[in-house]
Amino acid sequence: MEEKRASKQCGGVLAFFIGVLASLVIGWWVFPQVIYSQKTQPIDFSHKVHVEGEGMDCESCHTFMEDGSFAGLPSNEQCAECHEDILGESKAEETYVNEYLNKDVEVPWLVYQYQPDNVYFSHMAHKGFECTDCHPDVGNSDTLPTYYENRISGYSKQTMKMWQCERCHAEVGTSNACYVCHK
Amino acid sequence: MGIDRRTFIQLVTGGVVGSLFTPVIWKSLDDAAIWSQNWSWIPRLKYGQITEHATISKFGPSPCSLMVKSVAGSPYVAKGNAENEMSKGGVDAISAGGAQLLYSPSRVKGPMKKVADGKYESISWDDAEKMLSEKLSAVKGQAGKLAIVSGDATGTSSEVLSAFAAGMGSKDCYLMPGDEQAAAVALENMGGSGQIGYDLDNSDFVLLVGADAMNSWGSVVRNQRVYADKRPTGGDIESVYVYAGPFLNSTAAISDKWVPVAPGTGSIFSLGLAYHMLNAGASASVADFADFKTLVMSRFTPDKVEKAIGVAPGVMAGLAKQLMSASAPLVISGSEFGQGAGAVDIIAASALNMLLGRVGEQGGMKLLADLPLAVDAAASRAELSSRDFAGYLAAVATDKVKAPEVMMAYEANPVYAMPQATTMAAAIAKVPFLVSFSTWMDETASIADLIMPNPHSFERFDDAQTPYGVGTTMLSACAPVIEPLYNGKSTVDVILSVASGLGIDLGYESVEAVLQAKAEKAGADWDSLVEGVAYVSDSTESDSLKFAASVLSKAVTMPKGGEIALAPYAKLNVGSSTMAIPPLNCVTVSKFELQGKDLFVQINGKTAKKLNASEGSTVKLSGAGGECVARVHINEGVMNDVIAAPLGFGHTAWDEFSRGKGDNIAKILTVGTEPGTGMAVWTSSFVSVA
Repeated sequence: MEEKRASKQCGGVLAFFIGVLASLVIGWWVFPQVIYSQKTQPIDFSHKVHVEGEGMDCESCHTFMEDGSFAGLPSNEQCAECHEDILGESKAEETYVNEYLNKDVEVPWLVYQYQPDNVYFSHMAHKGFECTDCHPDVGNSDTLPTYYENRISGYSKQTMKMWQCERCHAEVGTSNACYVCHK
Repeated sequence: MGIDRRTFIQLVTGGVVGSLFTPVIWKSLDDAAIWSQNWSWIPRLKYGQITEHATISKFGPSPCSLMVKSVAGSPYVAKGNAENEMSKGGVDAISAGGAQLLYSPSRVKGPMKKVADGKYESISWDDAEKMLSEKLSAVKGQAGKLAIVSGDATGTSSEVLSAFAAGMGSKDCYLMPGDEQAAAVALENMGGSGQIGYDLDNSDFVLLVGADAMNSWGSVVRNQRVYADKRPTGGDIESVYVYAGPFLNSTAAISDKWVPVAPGTGSIFSLGLAYHMLNAGASASVADFADFKTLVMSRFTPDKVEKAIGVAPGVMAGLAKQLMSASAPLVISGSEFGQGAGAVDIIAASALNMLLGRVGEQGGMKLLADLPLAVDAAASRAELSSRDFAGYLAAVATDKVKAPEVMMAYEANPVYAMPQATTMAAAIAKVPFLVSFSTWMDETASIADLIMPNPHSFERFDDAQTPYGVGTTMLSACAPVIEPLYNGKSTVDVILSVASGLGIDLGYESVEAVLQAKAEKAGADWDSLVEGVAYVSDSTESDSLKFAASVLSKAVTMPKGGEIALAPYAKLNVGSSTMAIPPLNCVTVSKFELQGKDLFVQINGKTAKKLNASEGSTVKLSGAGGECVARVHINEGVMNDVIAAPLGFGHTAWDEFSRGKGDNIAKILTVGTEPGTGMAVWTSSFVSVA
């Protein structure tokens, strides 16, 4: 009777640890894969072709507007300054010109670090930093990173969270008062 | 080791404990919190280039020059244009929500015709114009068959409409009632030409008789800006304001002195002041001065004036003395609610300006030159302003004049906004074919046979010339700030197209061409105008005026007394004669004007006692042509035997933000005829109370 109880206790501990282990595996390996869906950009855009081939830099396309606000992604109007007609032999360029530019449809790019409307983020105020301090370094890449969309929140995996903003503000001595980012 | 119940529980417990050391719970909770902020109905901001363009809004009674800020081409805020002299950087309470009004649920989204059961069916612009052309073709060249009413007193569009009416053989092209009508008739009777203007900017003593300059008289926003400039907070007061009117309205509240004067008795008040000035030796080198002096000294003696309007001789004498001792005094008269005043009110106030030597002087009353007409066949501004739409509709209502076959309403809502509204609406109902060019599904559009929506102010070319009340001739213009959101079409373009089809040559092919021609003829630079800079001219007409003593003699009658007078008032936050309560303004409506669906009128305690009413009690007010139900608010800022009542409520069309809220006071206004001029007047409206 005593042996049976001890055996049961031993089995109980084992079962407990198996549960823990299973949870850890699911939590750290399966869950991160399940929580995000993977999406690809509408066009296989090559930053490398533009940076290395054409000598452009980030500010060539990702510009500030007259009022200091950040234009974000280039519009068809900007792209058409060079791509009014198909310049090369790339399939991606052909797709862009035929499916978007000629049809006057803006490309529905997936923005990796889209912030919600209640966040007032000024690129101008952060102009002293390198773009790659916050954004993926895509300047020398022929492909765009996979876009991971959180299945629950709907935001990109790369979207900067508030604690990240606060940490950097604290490190550089900028106020973390609510009104600095939330108007 | 088998899996029994105990083992299973231990496995699950381990799983739960293990999960606490993974991101599953914490990240899921965090993501769920973010997800909960992303409901589909939460509006999303639009991002893009922020731009700023000048425009003109005509939502209020007077045009307002605005700077509209847009993001990625979508307007999101309207602010005053400080570079424009027309409104001097101010913005009225309706125009402030102009960007949001683009998306108003009341907007008419395209041309529609009425079908069975009073419902509307969308049609194409070609079909709509064809339908209109067929109706107009049948009445072309026949006098009295076509009537046009415009609610735009300042736009060149009204010139196009009047020229079109002339081409159709109709003389029945009118403006909606406004103070400019009384002023035009008054000026005509005084032998003047041009347009009466008032140089508030340079006056140091302003007496406002009836005219609610802060809410409904003249260029309201500009008046407010001038007042602010002349009396800066904490700064020197450069101009004294005195208000004479029936209750403590916004103008009275900001004035240095309020003299209670019953509605419709402004001319008696002015002539009572003239008595004291004449006694003090004031005179004018005018042909009928002697007749005027005789009239005033015999019929407007201090005791007679006190008996008629209740103002003590001492108050009158003191005010006359103040006027005569000021270096740049100015007397302005008008309706307490921006319409319905008689020409004699203006003539009597002008007489004071003449006695003070203030006609044509800096800071005084001006006779402004009209800008040249853009369309040759159009009626002059003075002629168009003096035409009497209320008198015309009243004659149609009583069958003294046959109803037209076709009536066209542009920027006007006569079914709701005309005095004695029920009677006037019945007159309009006699018209076999009613066309509305309204941007909004207002009361007139909702009974029209054909609706041809004009684009919103921000979506169209437009202009505005010398709003009534300003002290200089001016012109502003605007180009579209945004592409039309819906299927609207400029009314001027529609008229030009239809006119062309009917063989009427108006000389232009587009609204833009008309407005550019207007600017060119005025000597203004079109590009500067559309950038928001007003063209201003010092051009004036001859200062030679007469007192029109014979008209005053016939038209000014002493009140009988003992009746309950109605003192309507208009506040821009609840709309105008062309706009219902804008959705964003609902929260600004005073609880002393509307609670739930109940309209409130204001009377003082003595009048309440006389009427056996108390705070919150319900009363039925009856005028000559209708009834209104309202509740009572006791306000000692209202003079005895007067009921102050807000206009702008009781809409039956529009949207949930204005429909069915309160009652329409315009129903109980009583339209009478002014002796001496024959024009319709309704500032002396009396009501019975039950």
